[in-house]
Amino acid sequence: MKWLTMLSLSLVLVVAGLAIAEERRDDSAPDGLRPGGTLSQSLPAPPMAGEPRDAGREVLNYPEQPPVIPHGIRDYQIDTRANRCLTCHSREHAVQAGAPMVSVSHFRDRHQQVLAAVSPDRYFCTQCHVPQTDASPIVSNTFLNVDEVLGEMLRQQREGGGQ
Amino acid sequence: MKRWLITYWRILMRPSMHFSLGFLTLGGFIAGILFWGGFNTAVEATNTQQFCISCHEMERNPYREMQGRIHDVNRSGVGAQCADCHVPHGWTHKMARKMEASKEVWGWIFGTIRTEEQFEDKRRELAEREWARLEANDSLECRNCHDFESMDFTQQSSRAAQAHSTTLAEGEATCITCHKGIAHELPDMSEFYQHTATGLPGIESWVAHLKRDAPVPGYPEN
Amino acid sequence: MKMTRREFAKANAVAVAAATAGMAIPAGATNLITNADLTRLNWNKAPCRFCGVGCSVMVATQGNRIVATHGDIHSEVNRGLNCVKGYFLSKILYGQDRLQQPLLRKRNGVYDKRGDFEPVSWDEALDLMADKFKSAIREHGPESVAMFGSGQWTIWEGYAASKLFKAGLRSNNIDPNARHCMASAVFAFMRAFGSDEPMGVYDDIEHANAFVLWGSNMAEMHPILWTRVTDRRLSYPETQVAVLSTFQHRSFDLADIPMVMKPNADVVILNYIANHIIQTDRVDRDFVENHTNFVRAVDDIGYGLRDEHPLQQAAANADEPNRWTEMSFDEFADHVADFTLERAARESGVSESRLERLAELYADPDIKVMSFWTMGVNQHTRGVWVNNLIYNLHLLTGKISEPGNSPFSLTGQPSACGTAREVGTFAHRLPADRVVTNPEHRREAEQIWKLPEGTIPERVGFHAVEQSRKLKDGAIKVYWTQVNNNMQAGPNTQQEILPGWRNEEAFVIVSDIYPTASAQAADLILPAASWVEKEGAFGNSERRTQFFHQLIDAPGEARSDLWQLVELAKRIDVADVWPSELLDKAPEYRDKTLFELLYANGQVDSYPLSDMEEGYANQEAEAFGFYIQKGLFEEYARFGRGKGKDLDAFDNYHQNRGKRWPVVDGQETLWRYREGYDPYVEEGRGVQFYAKPDDRALIFAVPDEPPPESPDEEYPYWLSTGRVLEHWHTGSMTRRVPELHRAVPAALLYMHPEDAREEGMRRGSEVKVISRRGEVRLRVETRGRVTPPRGLVYVPFFDANRLINNVVLDATDPISKQTDFKKCAVRLELVSLA
Repeated sequence: MKWLTMLSLSLVLVVAGLAIAEERRDDSAPDGLRPGGTLSQSLPAPPMAGEPRDAGREVLNYPEQPPVIPHGIRDYQIDTRANRCLTCHSREHAVQAGAPMVSVSHFRDRHQQVLAAVSPDRYFCTQCHVPQTDASPIVSNTFLNVDEVLGEMLRQQREGGGQ
Repeated sequence: MKRWLITYWRILMRPSMHFSLGFLTLGGFIAGILFWGGFNTAVEATNTQQFCISCHEMERNPYREMQGRIHDVNRSGVGAQCADCHVPHGWTHKMARKMEASKEVWGWIFGTIRTEEQFEDKRRELAEREWARLEANDSLECRNCHDFESMDFTQQSSRAAQAHSTTLAEGEATCITCHKGIAHELPDMSEFYQHTATGLPGIESWVAHLKRDAPVPGYPEN
Repeated sequence: MKMTRREFAKANAVAVAAATAGMAIPAGATNLITNADLTRLNWNKAPCRFCGVGCSVMVATQGNRIVATHGDIHSEVNRGLNCVKGYFLSKILYGQDRLQQPLLRKRNGVYDKRGDFEPVSWDEALDLMADKFKSAIREHGPESVAMFGSGQWTIWEGYAASKLFKAGLRSNNIDPNARHCMASAVFAFMRAFGSDEPMGVYDDIEHANAFVLWGSNMAEMHPILWTRVTDRRLSYPETQVAVLSTFQHRSFDLADIPMVMKPNADVVILNYIANHIIQTDRVDRDFVENHTNFVRAVDDIGYGLRDEHPLQQAAANADEPNRWTEMSFDEFADHVADFTLERAARESGVSESRLERLAELYADPDIKVMSFWTMGVNQHTRGVWVNNLIYNLHLLTGKISEPGNSPFSLTGQPSACGTAREVGTFAHRLPADRVVTNPEHRREAEQIWKLPEGTIPERVGFHAVEQSRKLKDGAIKVYWTQVNNNMQAGPNTQQEILPGWRNEEAFVIVSDIYPTASAQAADLILPAASWVEKEGAFGNSERRTQFFHQLIDAPGEARSDLWQLVELAKRIDVADVWPSELLDKAPEYRDKTLFELLYANGQVDSYPLSDMEEGYANQEAEAFGFYIQKGLFEEYARFGRGKGKDLDAFDNYHQNRGKRWPVVDGQETLWRYREGYDPYVEEGRGVQFYAKPDDRALIFAVPDEPPPESPDEEYPYWLSTGRVLEHWHTGSMTRRVPELHRAVPAALLYMHPEDAREEGMRRGSEVKVISRRGEVRLRVETRGRVTPPRGLVYVPFFDANRLINNVVLDATDPISKQTDFKKCAVRLELVSLA
C-alpha cells in the first residue's frame, strides 16, 4: 500500500504544482476597470447594454459640453446624401419637431463667421454628440461641476471662518 | 396563315367525339386549378427574398442596406421581406406591379445597373419611383402591417402622436411622406430641402460660404 | 478666495436653507451667479491629452480643480472645436480610483514578486528601484534594464528618460509605445527623405481637391481633422474623397469613392497606381529627373517574429531588411508593369472602375491630392513599404511639398511626433533624426551632454516587442513603463507579455494614474501626475510644438513622470553603473550621481525658478530648485537648431498656440523642401530634399509579399483590431468618464450578418474569438458603426475586460519592428446564443 500512498501523494503534488503554476500568472492586484488578479483569464462577456429609445435629457457638466443624445439613433443616416438629425434639430424644424435647435455655435465656421446654415465642419453630429446606453459605470467619477466646487469652497471658508 | 387559323378554329368548335362532357368539365376544372396554382406559385416564387436578391445588384445595395434595420429584425421576430413593402398584397395591384416589374427583368438582361456607380446614379430615380408609388396608393404596403386604427397614440412619442393624429388622420400626409429612408439609405436629398414635408436638408444648404478661405500668399490658386 | 462679509453671509444663508431642506445646494438658485469674483473662472490653454491632431483646448479651473473645458477658438488646428473625447477632458482625471501612493508587492514586510500590493513611501519605492537597477547592471550588464515609454510623455519627460537610459545607465533599451503606432512611418520618412515627419501641414486640407484615406478611419480617430476634410468636401462639391479600408467604417459616410479591399492588397493597388501614372504618361518628368532617385528594396524580409520561427528561418533577408540598390526609371516602369488594373481589381476585390478613379486622383495633374494614413498602413507587416509606395505616387507626379499636394502621415498620440520621434526615444534613435548606430551622431550627443566619448552604446536597444520577448526569456531584469498600458495594448499577451512581466527574474515598475491592466501585472506601481497636473509640451502631427502650464495639483502623493525619473537618478551613482574605463575618461564624474551627471549638469539647471511665468505652480521645478522643464527643453533644442529641426524659444511657446518647426528667426515653416516656404531650401532650387546627401528623395520598387498568417480551414476569419471615437486607446481615462462609458460600454465583435447567420450566431450572442495564441469572449454586433465584409471581424482594443491582444499575432514589419494589429487568423465559437 505504501506505493499507492506515494503515488497519490506525488499526484497531489503534481496537481497542486500545476495549480500553482497556473495561479502564478494571476498574482493579486488592485481592481481597476478589470478585476484584479484575472489577467490570464478569459472573462465572460456581459450582455450588450440596452439602448433606451428615450433616455431623457441630462444636465450638462458645464455649459460648453455637447449634450449627449437622449434618444436612440438606430438606423440614422448621416452621410453626404442626407442628415437625419437635422430633420428635427435644424433651425427651421426644431420648433415643430419639439427638438432643441442645434446651438448657435454650429452656425459659425472656422473663422467665427456666422453662416446662413449650419457650418459644414459640424455636419457629422456623432463626432461630438453620443447616445447613451443603460450601462452603469465600472468606476465612478468624482468630477465636481463648478457649482459644487464653489459650494465646497464656501463650506470650507465657512468652517475656516468659524474658528 | 388565315387558312391555318380557320382550320384550328374548326377543330376547337367541333364537339368532342371521344370524351364525355363530364370529363371535359372536370378535366378543365382540374387543369384550371393546376394552371392557376402553378401561376400563383410562380408569382409567389418571384415574391421571395431569395428571388429578389438573386440579382447581384439587388443583393449588393438594397438588401445589404436593409440588413439589421428595424424592418429586417426586431425583438419579436417580425421582419419584412422585399415583397412585403414593394409588392401590393391585393391581386389586381399585385399583377399590375408584376407586369410593371417585367421592365426590371429587361434592365437586368441588358445591364442597366451593373456597377456600384450605376446604382448610385440611379439611386435617386429608384427611390423616387417607390415614393411616388406609395404616395399614390396611400402607403398601401405600409398599412398592411401598420394599421392606423390600431395605433395607440399614448404609446407614441408626443411628436409622433401629434403628426399621426393630425396630418395622417386627416389624410394630408401618408406614411411615406415622412418615413423615407427607413429601410434603405436615402439618396442625395439636397434638392428636397425645400419641397418635402420633412424638409430633409441636403448638402446644397451647406454650401454657404464658397471660396471663403484666403489664398495662400505667394502661391497661385487655380 | 476673497469674499466680502456680506456676500459670504448671503451665500451661507442659501446653503443653510438648502441643507435644512435636505437637498444639495442648488447653486443656480443662489446669488452666486451675480458674484463676479466667484463665477469668474481661471482659463488657460492646453493641447488636448488625446490624439496626434493636437487640438488646443481651454481649461477652466477653480479651487484647484478642473471645472470645464472647451475648444480653443484661437487655435489654428481646431478653431474652437473638439471631438467628444476632447469635450470631456474635464473629467478624465477624476476617476474614483486614482492612484495616490506607491504600491509594492510585499510579503512579510519585504518585496516579494508573489506578494500582495501594499502602500509604501516614495523613498522606499525609489530606493528599491535604484537597488534593482544597480544590481541588474552590475550583475547582468546595462542590457538587462529596459524602459517602455510613450508618445504621451511630455517632451521633457521623454528627453529626461532617454538621457537617463542612453547616457546615464548606458542602455539603449528604451522604446516608446509609438513603436506600435508610428515606427513604420518614421522608417519610410528616413528612407525616402532622410528626415522624419511630414513635409505638409493641416492647411493642405483647405487647398486640396481630393483626399485619399489609406486604411485610415479619420472620422473616429482624427475627428477634428475630419471636420476640416468634411468642411472642404461639402463646401466645394467638386472635391473628391476616396476611402480605402479592409472594412466599412464611419469615414465611408463622406466617401465619393468607397473601397473595401482584401487585407494586404494595398501593395498591389499602390503599385498599380504607379503603373497607371506611367502608362498614361502623367509622370512629372522634370520633377522626377531633378529631385528623385529610383531604388529597389530588398525583398523576402520576414515578419519580425522570434528568430527560431520557421517564417523567419525561411526569409532570405530577415537580418538586414532595410537595404536597397539603385535602379533606373525604366527598370522601375518594368517593375510596376506587372501590376495591371485587372490584377489589382482581382487581388483587392475592389472594382476596376473605382480603382481607376482612385488612380486618376493621383495621375490627373489638375487635381491636388492629399493622402492620409495611420494604423492601417503603419501596423502592417509591410508597413514601411506601403508608406514608401504612397510617397512614390506623390513623387512621380511632383505632387508634394506644396499647398494641397500632400502625403500626410497622421500620428496617433499627442506627442508621438514631439516626444517619441523628435526627442528620439526609440531604441535606435537620438534627438533630431540622429541614430545610435552612427558614431558621429553619438559623438554629437555626447558633446552636448558633456559626456566622455563612448558613453552612448552603439547597439540598437530592444524594441517594444523584443522587450516582451526578452522579459519572458529572463534577459531583462528591471523593466519600467510610463504613460502606457502594454499589457492591454501589446500583441500576443498570454504567450509573451504576461509571462514576461510575471517572470521571477524581472522587477516590473508601472507608472500610471489608474490601476490599468499593466499596473495589475506590475511589481511596483507608481502614482503619476497627468496632463495639466504638470507643466508639459506636446508635438502634433503637423510639426507643431505646444506647451501647457501646471494648472492643478496632482492628487495625494501622485508625482509626474519627470519627477520620478529625476528622483531615481538622484539615487544612482555614476560609479554604480559605468565601467571603470569610462570613468577613467571622465574622472570628474566618479563621485557624482546620475542626477548631477544628467540634470544638474550646468545646463539643465541653469534656469532659475524666477524664469517661470508668474501665477503658475510647478511641482517639479519647486522640488528640484531650478526650472527643470526649461533647462531640459533648451538643452534638447540644441540638437535640432541648424539641422532643419529648429524650435522656437521656450518662453514663446507658453504664449502662442504652438509653432511648426523648423522655426527660424521666429517664423514657422509650413511646406518643407519648397523654396519660398522652407528657409533651408537654397535659392533657385525650387524643391530641395536637403536631408538627403544628393538632395533627392527615393522612389522605391517593392514586390508583393503575403502576410505571415492568413485564414485557413481551422481559423477561417481575418481579425482586425483598432479604436473607437469615444475611447482613448486602452480606455483607462475615457472609460472612467460616465458619458463616454455609457456611449460605448464594451468592446464588441463586429461581423457581417451573413457570417453570423452561417455560424449560428446573431447580434448579442456571446462568442469566443480564438487564435493560435489565445482567446477572448465578446458579444456579436452585426449592425454597428463598423461593417466588415464577409470573412473579416473587427474588435476594438479599449476594453480591459476583453483583452483582444491575447489573440493578436506578434508579427512586425521587419524594418520598423511595428506590430501588425490589423490581420491575423481566428475562428469563432458560440458560447451562448443570447
